[in-house]
Amino acid sequence: MQRADVIANLLRTTPDVWSGRDVAATHSRDTGFAALNALLPGHGWPLSSLIELIPLMEGIGELQLLLPALRPLCREGRDIVFIRPPHLPYPPALATAGLPLNRIIWIDAQTDEAARWSAEQILREGMAGAVLLWSDTTKDIALRRLQLAAREGKSLLFLYRSASLLQASSPATVRISLRPQAGSLHVEVIKSRGGKSASAQLQLYRVA
Amino acid sequence: MLWLCLHFSSLSIELREPRDQFPTAVVDRQNSRRHVIACNKAARQAGIHPHMDASTALTLMPSLKLVDRSRSQERKALQALASWSEQFSSFVTLDAQRWLLWIEIGASLHYFGGLTALMEKITRGLGELDYSFATGIAPTVEAAALLTQHADAAPVYDQQAIKLAISALPVCLLAISPTAVDAFRDVGWQYIGEVLNAPRDQLARRFGPELTRYLQRLLGELADPREPYRTPSTYRRHLELSFAIDTTEPLLFPLKRMLGELQGYLRARDTALQALQLTLVHEKQADTVLQLGTTQPQRDAQSLWLLLREMLEQTELPEAILELILTVNQFVAPNNTQLDFFDDKSKHEQSWSNLLDKLRARLGTNAVKHMGLQDTHLPEKAWCVINHEATDKPAIAHNSPQRPLWLMQPRLLHTLPALLGKPERIECNWWSGDDVQRDYYIAETPEGSRWWLYRDVQSAQWYLHGLWG
Repeated sequence: MQRADVIANLLRTTPDVWSGRDVAATHSRDTGFAALNALLPGHGWPLSSLIELIPLMEGIGELQLLLPALRPLCREGRDIVFIRPPHLPYPPALATAGLPLNRIIWIDAQTDEAARWSAEQILREGMAGAVLLWSDTTKDIALRRLQLAAREGKSLLFLYRSASLLQASSPATVRISLRPQAGSLHVEVIKSRGGKSASAQLQLYRVA
Repeated sequence: MLWLCLHFSSLSIELREPRDQFPTAVVDRQNSRRHVIACNKAARQAGIHPHMDASTALTLMPSLKLVDRSRSQERKALQALASWSEQFSSFVTLDAQRWLLWIEIGASLHYFGGLTALMEKITRGLGELDYSFATGIAPTVEAAALLTQHADAAPVYDQQAIKLAISALPVCLLAISPTAVDAFRDVGWQYIGEVLNAPRDQLARRFGPELTRYLQRLLGELADPREPYRTPSTYRRHLELSFAIDTTEPLLFPLKRMLGELQGYLRARDTALQALQLTLVHEKQADTVLQLGTTQPQRDAQSLWLLLREMLEQTELPEAILELILTVNQFVAPNNTQLDFFDDKSKHEQSWSNLLDKLRARLGTNAVKHMGLQDTHLPEKAWCVINHEATDKPAIAHNSPQRPLWLMQPRLLHTLPALLGKPERIECNWWSGDDVQRDYYIAETPEGSRWWLYRDVQSAQWYLHGLWG
C-alpha cells in the first residue's frame, strides 16, 4: 500500500479525526437517502456520536426517517432500543416496516434522568445497533455525558428533542431539524461537525 | 481422610455487620467474670486482647465498646461458611462452640490440582468473605484442629506422623478442660509429647476416660465419626445487624459477604438461581422485601451484588433496618456457556441480559419491555408485552394494512383535520357483546402532521388513535 493510502485509510478509520468535508473520516451508516448522506460527515449517520433530531411537530415521519438505517442493523442481529418514547412504538407497524420485534427493546423509564442513565448504560456496553432516546434535558453536562457514552460504544445514538429546544446550545455532533413540506420531509442540518449546514428534501414513504 | 481445619478465632467480632468503626470488643461471661473473646483492630491497637478481663480492658481504654457474645449469630455465620465450603468437598463439619470448621480434602485434592492450588482458592475465597482464619491439616479431626493453634505447622499427611508433629506443642493447646491442663502442669508436663508418652491406663485412672479417648481420637487410634453439615435445600441466610442503619448504602458490605457465601453454596451444588429475595427487617414497620429476578441463570456474587445495589438505591426505607434475610427458594440449572466457556455470541447475549437485568433492577421489572403481536383486528390489542426476549422466529406481519408507528390512547377530537382517502372498517368482538365498530382514516393537519383517527360508528364521535411518525 502506498503511504498516502495508508494515511488516508488511517484517517478514515479513526473516529476522532475530522479532515474537512470531502475527506470527512468517520464510521458511519448509510441513511438510505442519497440527498441526506450528502449532507452528513462521512456520508451517513455517524456512529459513536450524538445525533440530535428536532421534529417541529409529531407525525411527520420522524421515525420513518430512520427506518432505512435501522433495518440493516436488525439484519445484522443488533438491537434497536427505544428509550422513553412519547407514544407506544406500535409493534404491528414496526414489524411491517421491516424491524423484527425480537430486535426491539422498549425502555419505559419514568423520568428523564432514568432515561438518560439507561441510554448511557446501553451505549457503554456498545452492543445495541441504535439507541433512540427522547429527552428534553437542557443540562449541558447531561448531553456531554451522553456523547461520551456514545463514544465508548459503536452504536448510533439519536436524541429526539422538542421543537422548543431548536435554539438551545448543544454539544451534538450533528443537529437536524425536521419539518413537513408539501407531502415530504424537509431535513435541515443546523450543525454538523466536519460538514456544513445545508438542507434537503426527503421523499419518505407516505401513506394514503 | 485428610482434614483441613479452619479456625475462625475472631468470628464473634468479624461477623458483626456493619463493621464497628470504633474500638469494640466482644465479651463472654464465665461465672461472674466477663472477659474479652475478640476485638477489632482499633481495640487491638490500644492493647486490648482476647482473654483480658472486661474491667481491665475498660481501665485501659474507657471508650471501649463492649458487646455481648451472640452464640446464635456465631452458629449462623459458621453454618453459612460451611455451606460456602461445600464447593470444595462433599464432607464438611463444624463445631460452633470452638469456631471450627473442617473440610475433608483428601478426596478432592487431585480435582483441585493439589494442596497448594486448593489452599490458594480457599484463602482467596475467605479473603473475599472478609474473615480471618488459621488452618491445620491432618488425617484426624482433632489433630487438624490442634494444628490450627500453631502458626507455622506443616500439613501432616500420615497418621503415624501426628505424634511427632504435635509433641513439641504446649499442653494448653489440647482441647481439654482448663482443670486438666492445670493438673498436667502440676505433674510437671509442659508439652503434649510428655502426655502422649505416659501410660494410657495411668492417664485414664488419674484424669478420667474422657481424656484418653480424646487422645486416641487425636492420634487416629479411635474412630472419630462426625455428622456432616447439610445445608437445607432452600437457602436462607439471616443476619442481625450490629446496629440499626437507616440508609441502604451500608448494607452493601454485609451483602457482599452474604452473596459470596451464596456463590459458594451454588457452586457446591452446581446450580444457579433466577430469583432471590432480600428482606429488610424493621423494628415496627412491615418488612421491606426486594425481589430480584434475572434473565439468565446466575450464580456470580459480583453480578448479583451489582443488581441488588441498583435496587437498593431505588428503595425508600420506612424505618431503620435491624436485620437482613437472604432467601433463595428455587434453583435452576446453570447456563454453562455463561459460567465457563464463552463463544462470542453467548458472551454477547450474556452481557446483554446482564445489562437488561441491571436496567430492570433500577427502573423496575416492567420497565424493560419486549413486544410481540397478537392476532386480533382491534388495534390496541394487536400487540403485547412479552417478558423475556423472544428467541423464536422474528414476528413479521405480512400483507397487513398500513399502521402508524405511534399508537396513543384514543383521544376525543372536537375538530377534524382533512381526511385523506377511504376509511378502513374495523369490527370485532361482536360475538362477546363488547361490540367495536370503527372507521379508521388517515388525516393531515394544516401544519402537515399526519394522524390516524377513527369514527366510532355507534357514538359517531371521532378519536385520535395514532400518529404517522
